[in-house]
Amino acid sequence: MAGQVTVAETRPAGKSALPAGRGRTRRAKTARYVLSRVVRLLSIIAGVTFISFFLLKLTPGDPVATALGPEATPEQAARLRASLGLDRPVWEQYLDWLRGVVTGDFGSTLSQPSRPVSGELAARLPVTLQLIGLTVVLSLAIAIPLAVWSAHRAGRTFDRAVSSVLYGFVAMPGFVAALLLVMLFVFHADAVRTAGLALACAALALTLVAAFRARRREASPLPALIGGGAAVLVGGAVYALLPEFPRQGFVPVSDGLGANLTSVALPVFALTFVDIAVFTRLLRGDLIGELAKPHVLASRAKGMSTAHVLVRESLRPSMFSLITVVGLTIGQLIGGTIIVEHVFRLPGVGSLLVASVRNGDYPVVQAAIFVIAAVYVTVNSLIDIAYTYLDPRVRQVNPV
Amino acid sequence: MTVPLAKTGGARVPDAVWRWAIVLLGAILVGVALSTPMVLPVVRLLLGALGLVFAYAGASRLLRARFGPDFDPGVWLAGSWLVLIVLAAATADLLPLPESLDPSKALTEPTYAAPSAAHLLGTDQYGLDVLGQIVYGARVSLVVGLGGVLIGGTIGTLLGLTASYLRGRVDGAVGWGTDVLLSFPPLVLLMALAAVLEPRTRNICLALGILVIPSFVRLSRAAGLKVAGQPFVLMARAMGATRRRILFREILPNILPSVLSYALLVVAILIVAEASLSFLGLSIQRPAPTWGNMIAEAEAEFQTHPFLLAPAVPLFLTVYSINRIGDFLRAGKEGD
Repeated sequence: MAGQVTVAETRPAGKSALPAGRGRTRRAKTARYVLSRVVRLLSIIAGVTFISFFLLKLTPGDPVATALGPEATPEQAARLRASLGLDRPVWEQYLDWLRGVVTGDFGSTLSQPSRPVSGELAARLPVTLQLIGLTVVLSLAIAIPLAVWSAHRAGRTFDRAVSSVLYGFVAMPGFVAALLLVMLFVFHADAVRTAGLALACAALALTLVAAFRARRREASPLPALIGGGAAVLVGGAVYALLPEFPRQGFVPVSDGLGANLTSVALPVFALTFVDIAVFTRLLRGDLIGELAKPHVLASRAKGMSTAHVLVRESLRPSMFSLITVVGLTIGQLIGGTIIVEHVFRLPGVGSLLVASVRNGDYPVVQAAIFVIAAVYVTVNSLIDIAYTYLDPRVRQVNPV
Repeated sequence: MTVPLAKTGGARVPDAVWRWAIVLLGAILVGVALSTPMVLPVVRLLLGALGLVFAYAGASRLLRARFGPDFDPGVWLAGSWLVLIVLAAATADLLPLPESLDPSKALTEPTYAAPSAAHLLGTDQYGLDVLGQIVYGARVSLVVGLGGVLIGGTIGTLLGLTASYLRGRVDGAVGWGTDVLLSFPPLVLLMALAAVLEPRTRNICLALGILVIPSFVRLSRAAGLKVAGQPFVLMARAMGATRRRILFREILPNILPSVLSYALLVVAILIVAEASLSFLGLSIQRPAPTWGNMIAEAEAEFQTHPFLLAPAVPLFLTVYSINRIGDFLRAGKEGD
């Protein structure tokens, strides 16, 4: 058996204890692995430029006619065609475009007045990034407690209720979720406030009943009080503090943080639906596996508290795959905010893409899908590479 | 969840009575929701939903008591919904529905009518029947979902299978192409394809097919690699079987079950993808109804006419049902 022990397990505590040269070879191996990932990434990005450019070249209709409208004279059309480089062979246009991509110059928009595409994208990126950041933070804040408690009570009422609700979340298309949120929180905000009050009262009554019953059974009333208290707080907060959400539009941070947050709150909620479901399911599964392991049993046998067992013994080792999926989600959200930006009329990259596809403004579409795809693969590759530093086992199962 | 606060020592009420009582309560709530036009629509909707939850909880208890604890009424409900929607889509032309396709034939109908006996789900801005449009929209959703999977699944599986058996340069090229296609977020690639193709049912199927090729390649390649290493494949090679025979008679039948159960889930994903594309106005255009473009049209008016959002319900139910049945089949396969 001794021969099968992996290097990671036998690694001595101090670096000085390593045999001379082994540390260097391992580092060289890692470097070579990272290098191969980078080369792969570059080759894929090359493929991405190819698709972004040539797919849009297949678009039916004449881009010059789209830009100038039906009243343009042939001379005007010829001049615009020459200035866009459309009279030259496709390969030259592609190389030209590539040169622009490397220097961050994506040409100018077809729709008049003509502006540089990179400026358009740069102006809209912060909105999308804010949406993504808030969505990930909020989803994690909701998903982690849900997953921990579901894993702790696996198969019980709470777990089954949570998983069936999340099942519904997964089946809900983004635009349906967004419209439902608008209907509830914008059009019927009063009904939501009333529901919050009702929830708080019901939770209060149930909590008191549960706490008294726990006392009579001489069990600790704390879990009931904590859970019920949280529900009362949420309900009360909805009743007392629910702000007026705008139906659409975006308020920049410079006009006040509160106004900014209320303007992105509903879009972010709509985006979290699916992410909460994904994160919770994944973490719950990992946690259930972790809770069945011997070190958790040992910790329980020593009489450690449930909180310690759940958070320190199981949550920490289970976070690993969650971190990967969070990274992937960030990448996906860069293209995934399209629907929500469209519904709430937010000036992000997604709504720019929708508008440009509709107007046939192909330089913008090319640039937008290239940037989105490039960011997406780069994020994914960075996660892969970061993984090799975080978890040495990956290096060993994927030898170069 | 709904355990009654039974008093200790008192006469116990039989379980069956409680189960029936829950069903009855649910039915009463649904009845109240349907028959009180005075109350706010949101309240009625909530009451109706609550009633359905109670009815479902009671009915599932009754059915479990009758058919044993393993009986899953959710899967049966999901299955019957899918049968219903497929039948409705297939027989749409024969159903006695009010005019729902041609605005010029609905000139005498009231516009934005509330649900009534003549129009079960009301009418839209042209006076077209919403229920009828939902039925015709189901046709588009199902055709596009199944067609996309058929195209993408066939091409993807063949590519993945070939790559897994030939390895080497073919595998590298297929893998690179897969990674390039996967580096576009799905909706972005779909929009780019929609910008190029004319929005017709056939082209939408094609775009959705291209969208799902890479995931089928990955799945069938991984499954194919596992099968290709098994002794019976080696034996077939030793007996001099041709490459085509090994691929299609030895390996393909063994990876087909996992490909098919994945394909079912992909149908649901594609239905949502088409609806999203339609919602953005890049798929089949009005007045031809799809669930997505109906909801897009409702977006401007749903504050005053919430019933125009009705197509969201069959969309949700269809996706939910497909997911539910897919998971049920997968769990059954793992259990064996």
